[in-house]
Amino acid sequence: MLDKALSCELVWDIALAECRDRTQRWVLSAMQRHGPELVTMLWRILGNEQDVCDAYQDTFLRLAHYQGGQKPEHVKAYIFRSAGNTAISMLRRRIIERKNLVEVSVGRDAASPVNQLDSKYLQETLRCNIARLPEHLRAVVTLHDLAELAYEQVGRILGISEATARVYRCKAIQLLAVWMNKEKEERL
Amino acid sequence: MITMKDTNKKCGSIRGWLYKAISSRINFEADWIQNHISNCPKCQRRIASMGKVNLALSLIKSQPHSLDLLMRANAQAIKMLKHSLRDCPSAEKLKTILPEPGLFERCAKYRNPITNTAACFAILFLMKAYVFSSMSSCRDQGQKTLKHYYATQAGQDIADEIFPT
Repeated sequence: MLDKALSCELVWDIALAECRDRTQRWVLSAMQRHGPELVTMLWRILGNEQDVCDAYQDTFLRLAHYQGGQKPEHVKAYIFRSAGNTAISMLRRRIIERKNLVEVSVGRDAASPVNQLDSKYLQETLRCNIARLPEHLRAVVTLHDLAELAYEQVGRILGISEATARVYRCKAIQLLAVWMNKEKEERL
Repeated sequence: MITMKDTNKKCGSIRGWLYKAISSRINFEADWIQNHISNCPKCQRRIASMGKVNLALSLIKSQPHSLDLLMRANAQAIKMLKHSLRDCPSAEKLKTILPEPGLFERCAKYRNPITNTAACFAILFLMKAYVFSSMSSCRDQGQKTLKHYYATQAGQDIADEIFPT
């Protein structure tokens, strides 16, 4: 009787493991389906290929370990939000490191009018300011402007209406404009 | 009983409706807006700084990454997944995948020929419709004239017999 129970348990365990294995294939299908868009978004947030690979790896590792290997209800939403948050954390870390290392030289360089129009300077300034945005505004900017998702999709991912996404985007751009202008004035 | 959820939904739909109503009525290119901007330094500064943000966003978007970035990112991510997934044939495929342009981008080169052909067809259709309608009106006019001629020369009865309406 005990033997029978044990064998039943074993069969159940194997079946469960197989089932989990099979269901974990959705990680690969998610990678195949959303990978290109995700890489583009991460590249635009981070601007560094190694950081992109790290953030991408972190995102899929989180997805594979989500609630003990379960599939989230909205995989796309989970991936994009998780990737966005990881990338912003990395960006913030990078900004702090850079500030500590080359604060003086960057400040001196940025004051020159040539740098004001320099594409790299503009991109980096915008990235820094995006990282400073409040979470709800930042999420809309990263998903709509950097991942190039439609407002409808952005709304669905963030659980807000399309109109709210538009309002958040507008507020975010206003805030970014003020910060970029202020920075310019401070440096001049 | 009206719940908070219902109120939020209603509020959201009203906001959406207001946005649509206002955006269809207020145009940034409108003369009164342009006149105001040309005389208001504060608005000029605001628009200039927004333009700067948009420029920076465009610059970020236009910066291409290397072609094999997706492949490398996939390989790095798959390396950390469990064995059963790593050994999957689809995993091997993902490790060598290259970004492919979407259907819209792939069809972009055919956009001009397709538009031209469609325009030609539209012109042909319009021409054909015009020719047929002109022919039909010409025939009607001719019939009317002949009927009138027969009516004056041979009488209304004969004209009605020859050209029944």
